[in-house]
Amino acid sequence: MAEFVQLLFNGLVAGSIFGMAALGISLVYSVLHLVNFAAGDFLTLGAFTTFYLATSQHLPFVLAVILSMVIGVIVSLILEFILWRRLRRSGAGMLALFLVASGIAFILRQSIALTFGSDSRRFDLDQLTTYEFLGAQIARAQLIVLLCASIAITGIALFIKKSNIGKDMRAYADNASLAAVSGINVDRVIIATWTISGAYGALAGVFQGTVQGQFTNGMGLDLLLAILAAVVLGTIGDAYGALIGGFVLGVVMDLSTWDALAGGIPSTYKPVVGFAVLVIVLLFKPEGIFGVRARKI
Amino acid sequence: MNNLILEVNDVAVAFGGVKAVNGATMSVEVGSVTSVIGPNGAGKTTLFNLISGAIKPDSGTILFQGFEIQKLLPHKIADRGIVRTFQGAKVIKRLSVLENLMLGAQNNPGDNLINFFNPRARNAFEKQARERAMALLKQVGIERFANDYAGILSGGQRKLLDLARALMAEPVMLLLDEPFAGVNPTLVEKLLEVLHALRTEHHLTFLLVEHDLETVMNISDRVVVMAEGRVIADGLPNSIYENQAVVDAYLGTRKLNS
Amino acid sequence: MTAILQPGFWVFILTMSGIYGIFTLGLQVQYGVGGILNFGHVGMMALSSYTMAILVIAHGFNFWIAAASGVAVAALGGAFLGLTTLRLRGDYFSIVSIAFSEIVRYVIFNSDGLTGGSQGSLAIMPIGDAYPSYTDTWDTILYWIRDHLTPIFGEVADRDMAMGILVWITLGILLFIVSRVERTSWARVLRATREDDDVPSALGKNVFRFRLQAVIIGSIIGGIAGIYWALQVTLLSPDDFLTIVTFYAWMILILSGATKVKGLAIAAIFFGFLYGGTRFFTFWPFSVFDASQRSYMRIMIIGIVLIVLMIRRPQGIFGKREEMVLE
Repeated sequence: MAEFVQLLFNGLVAGSIFGMAALGISLVYSVLHLVNFAAGDFLTLGAFTTFYLATSQHLPFVLAVILSMVIGVIVSLILEFILWRRLRRSGAGMLALFLVASGIAFILRQSIALTFGSDSRRFDLDQLTTYEFLGAQIARAQLIVLLCASIAITGIALFIKKSNIGKDMRAYADNASLAAVSGINVDRVIIATWTISGAYGALAGVFQGTVQGQFTNGMGLDLLLAILAAVVLGTIGDAYGALIGGFVLGVVMDLSTWDALAGGIPSTYKPVVGFAVLVIVLLFKPEGIFGVRARKI
Repeated sequence: MNNLILEVNDVAVAFGGVKAVNGATMSVEVGSVTSVIGPNGAGKTTLFNLISGAIKPDSGTILFQGFEIQKLLPHKIADRGIVRTFQGAKVIKRLSVLENLMLGAQNNPGDNLINFFNPRARNAFEKQARERAMALLKQVGIERFANDYAGILSGGQRKLLDLARALMAEPVMLLLDEPFAGVNPTLVEKLLEVLHALRTEHHLTFLLVEHDLETVMNISDRVVVMAEGRVIADGLPNSIYENQAVVDAYLGTRKLNS
Repeated sequence: MTAILQPGFWVFILTMSGIYGIFTLGLQVQYGVGGILNFGHVGMMALSSYTMAILVIAHGFNFWIAAASGVAVAALGGAFLGLTTLRLRGDYFSIVSIAFSEIVRYVIFNSDGLTGGSQGSLAIMPIGDAYPSYTDTWDTILYWIRDHLTPIFGEVADRDMAMGILVWITLGILLFIVSRVERTSWARVLRATREDDDVPSALGKNVFRFRLQAVIIGSIIGGIAGIYWALQVTLLSPDDFLTIVTFYAWMILILSGATKVKGLAIAAIFFGFLYGGTRFFTFWPFSVFDASQRSYMRIMIIGIVLIVLMIRRPQGIFGKREEMVLE
């Protein structure tokens, strides 16, 4: 039982991080029809800028996190203005968008490696305090991550549902040409999308760095698989689906290591479990969990 | 009842709660030209997609030459001899006009990778098929574009290509989805001429979908009228004019539209 | 600077180019003909090379049987990937294919007992007390070729040169076969599916079967590249099969114009210089950076080239613009 609670809790923490990152990818996809393969490296960027600001520049940690989110947004917007906008206007296809996104991923990852080296880093945070809950050891850092992530997720869900920009984003995602003629400010929608994706990517990166303890420039890439699986699981382009997909995947991956399940799967194989879940779901529901049967022709 | 080639029995399908076809029943006689007409949203194209296998019905059966086909995949239905054209005509833009036609050739040994090692069989078939394709292009009058990308064709020429490609497949029954929509009068003449020739020379069976009765009046043996997913009338072209349900359906939508 | 002047450098570049060329040819069949966006291609290379290495080292298989088995396993990998995910929308397939190759690498990395894990093929348990090598049979051939090259090239002739020649002969043969396959009606149907599924299905073509076959053939070619890769590096490591390798192949494919086989060899050589050549940029101003920093910059350059290419010349060097703008 204690192990179950422990794994469930770990899974929820992991799932909240997957969900935040998946949300960004899903939003960008629904508005811009672009699978952002660089999303993982935006997580890494967030973790490393926070590390730099907090540890090397001795800024308060919370301020460092906020500044990192701002940097994530700025980098996303610069890329929008110099790359994505141009590609959209030239009518670039799916392949071009994929390849440019991966190009960005390589450049980001290697710039981080060039600047910080390939050594692993850690935040100067209290990683040791733990609480006991139903026999499970719950680290304080994990608990804070889960709380903050839950607030961030609720906040963004409300924002998309209630705010004017959020409504415009949904309208634009549903039918871009209709939304454009009905007077929605398309530029504003796109900027809002990149802002959310950039800020939440950086925040998810900080959370992941905190939970992992140590991180390298490959952190985001290692996570990308699970994040993409969460996106597809929740039906690509569906923001709420991505959040739920993230939690489902986080919990399933951690619970798969539970001893009570025929000894459990070695924890190094967790990503394989994530992939297996994805393939099985897609076999039965090719549109993802929340996809609707599309009308043909 | 042996002369029925196609029987659609009480077929229904819904998309996200909307019943696009709601219990449609109709049939087609061997060698006839049957037209399905109806206002927009009547479910004509959906019925077509059901017959050609692009969508699967929620209930009901579709029999072709006595066999149930409603569960078959589109290519299996095509194998049985039902070949369709597409609304607005679909061409493969980055293949040449001739290559588009060659796609229609059935039982091409070159489609099977094993025959990569049997170039003689492949080449013999290709040569024969190419001759037939050129003859068809000539018949519909676009042979001068044979080696151009199909993407450069005009809308009307694409319709001719779509038709020729379907004929290349040597169908038993041809489904034509709005063949006359948006086509200039000269081209309509050309299409009618081709259809007439096919009918008299090859005894093909035709099922057409059209928006208006006028267009198909003269070429149809029978007219099936659909509205709101159901068949509301079925009979000789002339008798349709006098049918009160049909008048109501068309007038009703006209009121809605205006 | 001196490295560039040595023939060994050129042989190295050409050999790597040839192996990447073979690898890319597999993608060419999938994307160039069938429009299938496979981003997990490197997984097939990993499957074939590791299968071959394990069979030779741990089970004492004859090299040729082991190599054929490796390619067969790559084909099975392609079949698995295709059967499970090819019915999905194009963008789903791309995502799942990336996941597939990462999972393959992950399993290799973590299955110490079978694959040697993070230590690579050197840690595969050999039969008896033999040295864990899978290149013996191949080396015999290479040295035989070298001995016949020496009268022509003198001292320059070595094992590497023999390897380069064999790689390019293989690439030439495969290019010829693939260009022939692309003239069959099979390829014509596949090219049609690149644009539209409805038309070929309405004409009686089983679109899924054609796509699946394309993925399997591409995987077989990727598998052949994997065998050559294993023979070239002589020691396998899970890190040889990072996702980025698939992107190298995409870059070569885009450079070559994707739809035509012709430019592939030249594009591969261009990539070889970009990739391998920059390794030897040890002179100023590159000497400011240490070796690992230079390797980071190498991948950055490849990222930049990819982006610039997609913006400036999406049809590649040899591609036709008109094919891309047809509406």
